[in-house]
Amino acid sequence: MTKNGLFGALALTTALTSAAGIAAAEDTLKLGYIGGLTGYLAPYDQPSLAGVEVAVDEINKAGGIGGTMPIELIVRDMRSETAQAFVVAQELVDEGIDVLITPCDVDPSIAAGQVAQAAEVPAVTSCASTPTLPGVVGDYMFSNYPADNLQAAVLAQYATEQGYKTAYVLLSPETPYTERLPEYFMVAFEAMGGKILGVTEYSMGQQDFSAEVTKISGLDALPDVIMTAAYEPDFPAFLTQLRNAGIDTPVLGSDGIDSPTTLGLGPIAEGVVFTNAGYADEGSDLAAFYDAFETFHGSAAESAFTATGYDIVKVIAQAVQDAGSTDGPAIRDAWDAVKDVPGATGTITFAGGNRVPLRAVALNKVTGGELDHVGTFVPDAASVPGPDEGDH
Amino acid sequence: MDIFLQQLVNGLSLGGTYALLAIGLAIIYSIMGLINFAHGDLMTLTGYAMIGVVALGLPFPVAILCGLVAATLAAMAMERIAFRPLRGASGASMLLSSLAVSTVLHIAFQVLISARPQALPFPPMFSGAMDLGFARIGNIQAISIVVAVLALIVVNAILYRLPLGIAIRAAAQDFDATRVMGVQANRLISLAFGLSGVLAGIAGVLWIAQRGSVDPALGFNPVIKAFIAVTLGGLGSLQGAVLGGLFLGLLEVFLRAYLPEDTLPYREAVALTLVVFVLLFRPQGFMGKSEAVR
Repeated sequence: MTKNGLFGALALTTALTSAAGIAAAEDTLKLGYIGGLTGYLAPYDQPSLAGVEVAVDEINKAGGIGGTMPIELIVRDMRSETAQAFVVAQELVDEGIDVLITPCDVDPSIAAGQVAQAAEVPAVTSCASTPTLPGVVGDYMFSNYPADNLQAAVLAQYATEQGYKTAYVLLSPETPYTERLPEYFMVAFEAMGGKILGVTEYSMGQQDFSAEVTKISGLDALPDVIMTAAYEPDFPAFLTQLRNAGIDTPVLGSDGIDSPTTLGLGPIAEGVVFTNAGYADEGSDLAAFYDAFETFHGSAAESAFTATGYDIVKVIAQAVQDAGSTDGPAIRDAWDAVKDVPGATGTITFAGGNRVPLRAVALNKVTGGELDHVGTFVPDAASVPGPDEGDH
Repeated sequence: MDIFLQQLVNGLSLGGTYALLAIGLAIIYSIMGLINFAHGDLMTLTGYAMIGVVALGLPFPVAILCGLVAATLAAMAMERIAFRPLRGASGASMLLSSLAVSTVLHIAFQVLISARPQALPFPPMFSGAMDLGFARIGNIQAISIVVAVLALIVVNAILYRLPLGIAIRAAAQDFDATRVMGVQANRLISLAFGLSGVLAGIAGVLWIAQRGSVDPALGFNPVIKAFIAVTLGGLGSLQGAVLGGLFLGLLEVFLRAYLPEDTLPYREAVALTLVVFVLLFRPQGFMGKSEAVR
């Protein structure tokens, strides 16, 4: 995966630069990609980049955006460090990129986004899902992934439909994702009549969850469901220790656990339900994308992050085509108005969303070591907690 | 079921794993004055070796055995490549060398295997729990405690009964005098690294059983904890390392269990402040010799 992604990107950049040598420089869209290709973001940014590569290849084979403007992809690894994201963003902006894709987490995306904002280069985070992110950075920052409050609303809806009356929440205040998504869930779940029995905190990379598991087993009555936005390696550790302590309460998670590691846990992960951007039903656009992915990379897609990576490039291509130039302000304005762009995971609309996309959320259930499609939902606006709700 | 006893068991289980790691660090420190920060990466290596063996379709006990052998050989190779050329150099040089080994291993794991965690499911005997009436012990916790105790008994027997162990203890007291007595330095140090490797491997198996997956940075957090345990116990004291490990494990679990929710974000700060207090009053640690430098 690492090797394929990196070498693929290198080969692509080389091929495209030589192609661009023929055409005039302004006929190329320079697309910068910053990702944590090593470190804790690698499980998300590697597949995301692999999806970006598929879209760039597809568009360039058709002659480029609108048949005339090829995309030149320039990739930088920020090693999952926020400071490094800032440094490489500056590098890319100095190289004259037209659009920037930032990593799969809020903090590095804010760092890189601020550089792009100052240079009037439109930027989009591959899969950071904090709904307040574009507002924090400014009018050149977009988000791509189904937002935390959207995912939380779908999870709360599902929990309520399953007849769960009580929930226990595990969160970590160390990142907005691991803290806010569970908080949105609490707001939505309580609004639907559910009761939160308790909340406890963990540290990222904590390893030992015995104290937290004992707190849960020591409750007067076990909760009907446990909800967390923890991801690997914390989620496998928590789940393993929870199940090993003999607690078989259903567990709800979010897109952070959309990774082969979760399925690799075997019987322990059985029954875990989590949100992500899409499920590949037979005959769906997503299934077609996964086929195209396998043809291009020679290996199957590991998670839906490949599809959301692909979607970003489709949205960018639409925005650039509408803008009719690679001028930053023009792309920004066109982007803010795109409607119903066909992506791998469904249609994506930015118009009227304050640079946060309106898109579907899929629910997946681990069943017999495979993912089972529970359903795909666009929650009604009334049940989605506001971006500032539930903050402690 | 008593929650306090339950948390006590949790603390002993975590502390036992810390103790296994700490005693490996302490053996090397007592002989060479080296804190080996690559010690945790031996745990990671154990995990990857087990994943490889399981993928070949071999039975799980074989995977555990291969994991331990891999950690042992890697520890001995580490000594040969990175530490033997620096024998007699200052502690700082060797410390830097061990950090370099650790970094090289991290990058190698990321590039050659994957930056993504790899799942390693354990057989059913590791899951489930036993109800003892006063507490509910997870099988893996019970295994952790029993294995830690057994390993410590065996290490004790090696150190106090076998010629190798006696030589290690002698070298810990006065390395030059031990060499004058006819003990081969290279062989002794190599075997000591092998022993620390086995212990890191055992700790690795227990750690990964609790964690479910192996990632390149797996060993970083535990080696820091083991370093704290060794310092608490008294640098170079083997019994101290065990005490330090148990103390730290219990401290961490009890703080996470009993701090009020509002103060939970400060649990690590509270734990480390308590460690600083212990060291303020006993700078040499629980079992350390009063003069710090030999």
